[in-house]
Order: sequence, then structure tokens, then C-alpha cells
Amino acid sequence: MLTKEEVLKIARLARLELTDDEVSFYQNRLGRVLDYMTELKGIETREGTGVRHVPLDSEKFRNDEVVTFPDKEALLQNAPALEEGGFLLPAIMETE
Amino acid sequence: MSDLREKYEAVIGLEVHAQLLTKSKMFCACANQYGAEINTNICPVCTGQPGALPTVNQRAVELGIRAAIALDCQIRSESIFARKNYFYPDLPKGYQISQYEKPYCEHGKITVRLKSGEEKTFGITRIHFEEDAGKNVHASHGTVVNLNRAGVPLIEIVSEPDMRNSHEAGQYLRALHSILRYGDICDGNMEQGNFRCDANISVRKRGETKFGTKVELKNINSFRFVEKAIDYEIDRQIDMVEKNEPIRQQTRTWNSAKNITELMREKESAHDYRYFPEPDLSPLVISSAWLEDIKKVMPEMPVQVRERFQKEYGLSDYDAGVLTASKDLALYYQEAVKVSNNSKASANWVANELLGRLNAAGKEIDQSPVKSDQLGDLIIRIDKSEISGKIAKTVFEEMFATGRNPGDIIKEKGLVQISDTGAIEAAIDKVIAANPTQVADYKAGKVKLLAFFVGQVMKETKGQANPGMVNELVKKKLD
Repeated sequence: MLTKEEVLKIARLARLELTDDEVSFYQNRLGRVLDYMTELKGIETREGTGVRHVPLDSEKFRNDEVVTFPDKEALLQNAPALEEGGFLLPAIMETE
Repeated sequence: MSDLREKYEAVIGLEVHAQLLTKSKMFCACANQYGAEINTNICPVCTGQPGALPTVNQRAVELGIRAAIALDCQIRSESIFARKNYFYPDLPKGYQISQYEKPYCEHGKITVRLKSGEEKTFGITRIHFEEDAGKNVHASHGTVVNLNRAGVPLIEIVSEPDMRNSHEAGQYLRALHSILRYGDICDGNMEQGNFRCDANISVRKRGETKFGTKVELKNINSFRFVEKAIDYEIDRQIDMVEKNEPIRQQTRTWNSAKNITELMREKESAHDYRYFPEPDLSPLVISSAWLEDIKKVMPEMPVQVRERFQKEYGLSDYDAGVLTASKDLALYYQEAVKVSNNSKASANWVANELLGRLNAAGKEIDQSPVKSDQLGDLIIRIDKSEISGKIAKTVFEEMFATGRNPGDIIKEKGLVQISDTGAIEAAIDKVIAANPTQVADYKAGKVKLLAFFVGQVMKETKGQANPGMVNELVKKKLD
């Protein structure tokens, strides 16, 4: 179980507002994720056996060439609202 | 404040974000282009669409390595990209791809010249790659987000907390800026935000070894503002410590209209960013063969230009150092020499007259009202004895104030040097007639009076007579 303060801190970092019910729900839920991670700690690992990265096409870089993405409209469609081509969002406060 | 400044010591570390001079972004092929129409340089990667995968721009890595070489850093053969998690509208993925535990290089240094003439070396903790965020434009009815800048390649250069006052911090930034410009790594444009500086500042009583609580000053866009902001912040913090008020870990910003620092936000600690290795990118491998290739094509760095100036132009080490302090200044000097064909005189004019005036006016070389070819033109006119060195200073003053060409000023004010024997002789005759006692003394052996006569003739001609000719003709007349 996480404490109520821990859940509220995580919610603040994620810019989420939680009701009291949701807080106790996540105390339990997130607590279970952490329990699972603790369980994973029990697995014996030696230096060198852990693969942190899936070996993608390693050492392959992209050349510095511009390719224009053809369908910007599709990207803008996901915006909650648009203003003169920009994503329009509720005003954000610089200070909290 | 000065007594208190003696009692305390400031500890300053700087973080510089420099945009890399690539054609495309760090992790996608969109254009890296300032000032484009809103949201035109965007794609699924830099707008954070699910399933889109980043790919590393090779040129960006090469430019970063140039910076590492120029700043004497130790380069890691294998470094790791990491996700830095935070929520802000200009960061569509909810995390920034950066480097954390294993940056691509560490332990560098940079040597700067202070106004005392002394040279000082500051440590560079690390440099890492990361991507820029988009831009939020705040409007009354909301925030408009432009993602053209999202994903533009950056290097973040973190210094050791080695600076002790605003001047040292300013000189560090100028030297760093100069190296990035010389190396064609970053264009250094501070107004466009292509070279941005954050300063971490704390104060402690002298002799204390522990650091005080640091305050971060964010996004200051000129060298002078950085210096002013640091001075203000040092005084503010000393004042608080003196009053026994606690200093809080904050992010503050410089208000250049009011000349004060203002609170932006309380700082999230590194812990809150929940860094973890970026699973979509393999480790960044920099082979020694690649490193050697990059070294072979490194542009000329300030130290090399300084040596070249000594050889090519016959300058002293000191003058060469002054004139290569920035790429813009070195270019200015070279252009002035090209026009004037006189490297020594050009060095004197640039290093003394021009820099002195720019300094007093709070301007950098690229804002100089006198252009390099205009200064070259002025020097030619001195060399052909059209004007004397003394008159040239008056002309230069006018050039600096108005940006006009020396030829126009000389013509308009009638400053052309008098090299006409007849006119000078007439002035000498006048002076001789007006000073019979001195003439008698001179003839009796007081040859030191020659200087007096020359001075009088110069005065008579309003400083416009050719001094060499006056000297010669006065002697001839009196002997």
C-alpha cells in the first residue's frame, strides 16, 4: 500500500486531480505494482546477463536529411481545439 | 553591499542549452528550422503519436562530439539515452529524450580571460544530448502550442560550480559561445533562443565549505543580462541570509525591464523526473575510428586562430587573444585588415578604440555601428596622410555615433589634412611673427622649443596640418 500523500504527489506530477475514492483506489493499485516489482527483485541476475536494450538495428543512424511528413492535418486532428494552426489548450500557469 | 560581498562568497554553476546546426531534428526527419509557419515541421515522432519510433540523427551526434573535443571532454564509447518525465503542453510525449546516468561525455574544461588579464580555467561536468521542447504561446483565452521546435537537437553543457562572480560567469559563457560558433556547432543566436543559459547560484560565508541552497535562474537571453541577474541574485541572497531568512530552492527568471529576478516556480527535484533508460533507442556507440574522422575535419578553434593571427599578422600573443575572443570579432578584424592592408593598425583600432567604445555602450561586436570595411577605410586614409591619427579619432567618434562613412565625415567637416607646403609655411610664418621671444631663445640654443612651435602651428591649423611636414618645415624656417 502507498500512503495517501504518495498517491497525491504522483497525481500532482501527472497533473491529475483525484477524488478521495480514487486516491484510496490507487493506494491499493499502485501498491500492487510495487509489490510485483519487489517480487522481480528476487530473481537472481548477474552482471552481464541482463539485457537492458532490445538489440534494435544498433549503430544505424539516420542521415541528416529533411523528409517532410505529408499528412500534418491528421496530426492536428487530435487537438482538442485549434487556433491558427496551433494546438489550443486551457491556459497554463507559470507559477504554481 | 560591498562590505557584505567581502564577507560572503557566491558559488555559480551554469547550464547552457545549445541547438545544433543540423538540417533535421534529433530523432525524426522534420526540418530544424527557426521561424517556419506554425506546426509545419511536425510528424508522428515529434508530436508523440503512439507507436512512433525515434531514430538518432548522425550529424547531431557529430556536432556534439566536436563540442566534446573542443572542450577537452572524455568521450564515452557507449552512452545511454534516458526519458525525463514531466507534464507540460509543449512536451507531447510526456517525457523528453535526454541522457542521464551515462552522458556521452564528461570532465571537460574551458579557459577564459578575465578583465584583470588573468586566465582562469573552469571545469565542465558533462555534456549530454537531448531534444528541445515545443513553444507555448500564452494567450488570454488559452495556450497555443507550436511543435516546430519539438525534437530540435540540443546539447546541454553543464559546468562545475567554479564561478565566483558575475564577471567570471559572463566570460565563461562568452568563451563557450565562441567555441560553439567557431566549431559551426551552434549558430549562437541568443535572441532566437538557440543558445540559452540557466545559472545556479548560492551564497555562503567565506571559508565555509558546504554549499548554500541554490536558486536557478532560467532562460536568460544575453550575456549582460546573465551578469546583471547574477549580481542581483547574489545581493538578494546575502540580504536574506543576513536577515536569517531561509533561501528556498526555486526557479527564478530575470525581468530586464525592472532589473530584478522573479519567482517562476518551486523546483521539482531530479527524483520527480523519474528518469529511466529510453527503451526505444540502443546505446549510443561512438567508435574511436569515428572520433578520429571527426577530429580530422574539425574547424579552426579559437586557440588555433590565435596562433595563426600571431604568424600571419605579426600580432602579440595578447592582441591575438583579444581579437579571437569571439568568431565575430576575429572575422571583423580579418575583414578590416583585408580593406586596410595594415594588420597592426587594424589590431590597435579594433582592440582599443572599437572594443572600448562597444564596451562602454554595452554592445557586442555584431552590433557595432562601425562596420569592418568602414574601419579599414579610415585606416587607409591615415596611412595615405589624408588625415592625422588625432583627427582620425574624431572621425571615428562620429562614425561610431552615426554609422556614417569616414570619407563623408571628413569631407563634410573639412578635416582633410593639410599637406600643402604653402599653407603650412603661411601658418609657420604667423606663429614666428607672434612669438619673437621664443624665436630668439630657440636661436640662442634652446632647441627644445621646437615642440612649442610645432604645437602652435598645429593649433593654428586646427590640428589638420600634417605633423611630419610641420616638424620639418619649422626646423627649416628657424635654422
